[in-house]
Amino acid sequence: MSDDGNDTTPDGSQGNGGIDGTDGTDWRGRGRSVLDRLVEASVFERVLISLAALVLSIAIGVVIILAAGRTATCESAATTYFGVGFCYDPFRVYDRLFLGALGNPINPLFDPLHGQFAAPFREGWTPFNPRLADTMTETTILVLTGLSVAVAFKAGIFNIGTQGQMVVGGLASTLAMLALAPLFSGVTATLVLLPIGLLVGALFGGLYGAIPGALKAYADANEVITTIMLNFVASLVALYLVREQFQDPDSFSTKTNDLPAGVEFPKLVYAPSDEFSVLAFVFVLLLTGATYYVLRYTSFGYDLRTSGLQPDAAEYGGVDAAKTIVASMTISGALAGVAGTVYVVLLYGYFQPGLPAYGFDGITVSILAGNNPLGVVPAAFLFGVLKSGAISIQTDPNVDIPIQLVGVLRGLIILFVAMPEFFRLIGKRANDLGGRSRDRTGGSGPVRSDGGVLGGEGDE
Amino acid sequence: MTTAVHLDGITKRFPGVVANDDVDLPVERGTVHALLGENGAGKTTLMNVLYGLYSADEGRVIVDDVERHFDTPRDAIDAGIGMIHQHFMLVDPMTVAENVTLGSEPRKWGGLAVDRDAATRSVEDLCDRYGFDVPPEARIEDVSVGVQQRVEILKALYRGADTLILDEPTAVLTPQEVEDLFEVFDELTDQGKTIIFITHKLGEAMHAADEITVLRDGQNVGTVPADETTREQLAELMVGREVLLEVEKTPADPGDEVFAADGVTVRDERGIEVVSDVSLSVREGEVLGIAGVDGNGQSELVEALTGLRDPTSGRLSLAGDDVSEHSRRRRIEAGMAYIPEDRHEQGLVMDFDLVENGLLGSQHSPPYARRGRLSWNDARRHAEAIIDEYDVRPPNADARAGSLSGGNQQKFIVGREFARDPRFVVAMHPTRGVDIGSTEFIHEQLLGLRDRGAGVLLVSSQLDEVRGLSDRLAVMHDGEFMAVVDPAEVTEEEIGLLMAGERPGGVDEDAEPEPSTAQADGGER
Repeated sequence: MSDDGNDTTPDGSQGNGGIDGTDGTDWRGRGRSVLDRLVEASVFERVLISLAALVLSIAIGVVIILAAGRTATCESAATTYFGVGFCYDPFRVYDRLFLGALGNPINPLFDPLHGQFAAPFREGWTPFNPRLADTMTETTILVLTGLSVAVAFKAGIFNIGTQGQMVVGGLASTLAMLALAPLFSGVTATLVLLPIGLLVGALFGGLYGAIPGALKAYADANEVITTIMLNFVASLVALYLVREQFQDPDSFSTKTNDLPAGVEFPKLVYAPSDEFSVLAFVFVLLLTGATYYVLRYTSFGYDLRTSGLQPDAAEYGGVDAAKTIVASMTISGALAGVAGTVYVVLLYGYFQPGLPAYGFDGITVSILAGNNPLGVVPAAFLFGVLKSGAISIQTDPNVDIPIQLVGVLRGLIILFVAMPEFFRLIGKRANDLGGRSRDRTGGSGPVRSDGGVLGGEGDE
Repeated sequence: MTTAVHLDGITKRFPGVVANDDVDLPVERGTVHALLGENGAGKTTLMNVLYGLYSADEGRVIVDDVERHFDTPRDAIDAGIGMIHQHFMLVDPMTVAENVTLGSEPRKWGGLAVDRDAATRSVEDLCDRYGFDVPPEARIEDVSVGVQQRVEILKALYRGADTLILDEPTAVLTPQEVEDLFEVFDELTDQGKTIIFITHKLGEAMHAADEITVLRDGQNVGTVPADETTREQLAELMVGREVLLEVEKTPADPGDEVFAADGVTVRDERGIEVVSDVSLSVREGEVLGIAGVDGNGQSELVEALTGLRDPTSGRLSLAGDDVSEHSRRRRIEAGMAYIPEDRHEQGLVMDFDLVENGLLGSQHSPPYARRGRLSWNDARRHAEAIIDEYDVRPPNADARAGSLSGGNQQKFIVGREFARDPRFVVAMHPTRGVDIGSTEFIHEQLLGLRDRGAGVLLVSSQLDEVRGLSDRLAVMHDGEFMAVVDPAEVTEEEIGLLMAGERPGGVDEDAEPEPSTAQADGGER
């Protein structure tokens, strides 16, 4: 512990207790030390915490499923515990949710708990099954939106506009590829048109991200407000453009013309009917690595991270705050634009307004990953499993539970796994503000009993 | 003599630290007792135990020979203990009398209304009794900091305090106000009150106290009568080793002008002019000091010089080049180093380790960056060199900056800034909140840099520091330089008057009427 330590801890733990007595002092102190513990946690500990949160959320989910199963009416009980019948079987539900998303990889005879060490994988199971393809498609897009949010977060900017930037990128790249389609066909379409589409998506997504960036940097406009507003602008303008200008004449639904046949990510080992492409995923992994590299190994990344952690220190170190804000929002928007393009190419082959909320899921993915680009991949995979698993619950005739309840279970898992990271973010903020108040007192300890800690909480 | 307060074997633990370790502190009635120690020694914690803000894990609090248990400050106040915090807790738009009586106002009409006249009368009575010159009807926002402090003391006395605890009472005062405060101490002790004051300044403890208790690492390392000790002995008790208190300075050998500011005017966020037409010049191999009470425009001036704030007008030149329009980054690259006032917010990124912090300011310069790519190997070597040369502890480049003590954080900043081999250094409060041992070291380094030919601009509100290190000394008040003096010849009184906005000898070149606060203050004696 440092010299300052003596006074630091009381400074934090004292809180408001100083003025109006000591009531609540211990509570506050305990809350602070929990937050401090979270902030100090190593990567390994954080993974363990996440796993523990996952297990806990399932335990609570089991109780909820059983309770719901008691109140529901059904012809025959799905499961019976202690002589009481329940309409829903929690273990089958979670089995579907997780293993269904992977295409049932486990051999039913493999049961090490009961001494059955048969081959662990089910005969005939391959990783290249449609369910896992679904999971990985979701993962691919969520990695991109998660990265988009994470880059902005690292720069201290809360980009809620990933959704809108994704719409703009997806639409722009679709239109660009459609416009150039007559010039290419077959393999050249894949080799030339697709990269052009990705570039155009990145460009327009980036420009659309740069707008709130510039508004924040030069007009001090809160990015949370502007990005939310720009989300509406993006989806409504996209709706107008598609419906009024680029409507597919042969379709009753609001969509653009189909992209030419060659514009797709080669499926390689997956069946043509599956939407997932290993190549697309590899491309996304490369982007993840590149993002990590830029943040960690370049001067620009250093500027960006410093601005995100301590804007005053960044300015002190010669960082141009305004430029850094615009640049990081541009990168964030570009990643969202690529997400939009990949979504269009991978899933539909045309643009249809009203994209699913990948951009908003990206916020949770990023928080889940602690805003670390490398952590975004497993976080997005968890999301992918939950989404695709929900579908396999619905399609399984043996599991008859309401889709709403599945949504509750998914939400529970996400909430539990994201909360520790979320509190880490809060803890960091509180620490930073606590540190500031400490400094104002000339570094001489707990002078003011109503100092920065309170202010910190007010800010969150 | 009787014992007014006796803290007997107080131990107070916080998660991970022992803030007070079996501290014994008897205080005689009617005396001034100084509690001396470095930051983090546990002084404030100990006093918070006495004031009922914390409850001790072990030990007894004995007031007037009766053991007491204080759960809240209210209990302590009822037992005759009052505490004046470093930051005043006053309501600015309310009058002195209202503030003094706040929470226990005299009532009239059967308790329905506040009896303002009675409140004013009690405050007047208190002032008469203790010889305070405080106008009961004045608003807090209109009186000087020194007077505000007296209002805090009155608040405690009004609530029947016999023992007054003051936490770093001199930190916000000019030298004259400090003298006034110590006279108040005398007056109060004459009337049987007991005073405990917290300080980390040796001179004040020796000057104002009857007895001095030194805390180090939460332990009482000695209680000595003030007239039987020396500064050297106290410093050794505080730090635990022998300390060189006086800076050994060779005469300056100034060369060419390295930095000049001409007519710099700065407005703050609210548009108020906080620096008015200041010009200065620093030559190679000299230290120009700027003294002044905090908040007289020093921060804004320094930010304007270093490129963190746009001045309204003025020209700056560094080594002959006009740098008025240069960004912060270009100024760094042109050889300007800056030890900032606020190391937690500016000087270090608390969440970065020392390797990353060593890069701050050099993240675009070779060898640490080439064509936009960082070399973490070079950065690590750089950080390790700083840690080694400047004795940063713990000597671990992977340690988070926020985990270091204040002194070590400051040493790391100083090391990083000096490692640029700067032509011109701006050092703002370079030793604020830094222990004596590190202070000594930082002073040596600053002078060493000067002797190697750099120009140094030193801003500090600690008179000893600016006087000891500067070759020329400017005194700043209300956004202007009052005078530039020779620190070897000027007296503390003269500087004090300049800091308060008065030119000595009745010469007032300033035609403008000075803002009332500072003047009322200076003339108060």
